[in-house]
Amino acid sequence: MTDADPRLVRRLRLAGLLVSLGLLIEAATLFWQHPTAFLVFLLLGGSLVALGVLLYLLSIATYASPRPAASSEPPRGG
Amino acid sequence: MPYFDEVLVAVVLTAIALIALVVLRPSLTAARGGKILAFLAFLVLPILATAMGLSAHIEHSKTTEFCLSCHVMEPYGRSLHVDDAAWLPAQHFQNNRIPRDHACFTCHTNYTMFGDAKAKLRGLRHVYVYYLAGVPEKIQLYEPYNNRECLHCHAGARSFEESDLHKEMRADLGSNTTSCLECHDAVHNVGELKGKPLWKESKP
Repeated sequence: MTDADPRLVRRLRLAGLLVSLGLLIEAATLFWQHPTAFLVFLLLGGSLVALGVLLYLLSIATYASPRPAASSEPPRGG
Repeated sequence: MPYFDEVLVAVVLTAIALIALVVLRPSLTAARGGKILAFLAFLVLPILATAMGLSAHIEHSKTTEFCLSCHVMEPYGRSLHVDDAAWLPAQHFQNNRIPRDHACFTCHTNYTMFGDAKAKLRGLRHVYVYYLAGVPEKIQLYEPYNNRECLHCHAGARSFEESDLHKEMRADLGSNTTSCLECHDAVHNVGELKGKPLWKESKP
């Protein structure tokens, strides 16, 4: 992925954004002692992290790495 | 665990920093090391942080501060400070018979958002009732108070076991046939709080 596939980069960016946002929300709820904090942690933070992780997995699972160029050298021997 | 929240925040910040690195320099992932870094940043650390966060919230939910954060619980919190030795929760709270920072959870182990599955559903229902359906005028336990909550400390204690009255009804107390609260009936009694003198907690 030296010349990164733009589609993969786009997906990674989105996944990164979702995971980071989710993690920040999760961390913020730790400083709030209220039952609602748990709901926000789980429903909002957890969902964003899960979405981001899934998108990351999807992007690497569907990424087709470029095949190495066929060699022009003639086969040796024979 | 001490510093658990701080460790968790460090994990979150590390994950975000690594994510930023991978996103800003995607060419890193061409190498094997970069792929491992991305795997850590996008999968391992976020899952670890979420699991740690869940655990931290479960711990927070056991604190007195958490229980009293709902407005409707405020009088119950105040009942812990009543300056009257006959009031059972106040007596336990003020004399350190229960840990003050986990006072509610110590005596209501089956009644929290994070108890068994049924208690969890109840906890979620409480949030719904609190915000949407409206809190009922009279709050009461779902089921009679279980002697188990008292006996997990008092069973085996000399003052409890050697009391003649307790000896007489020990079997009934153990089997929950007779409730401890039948005799020790000054519990939270939030209806009688008005005008009651309150004990002021002094910090050492």
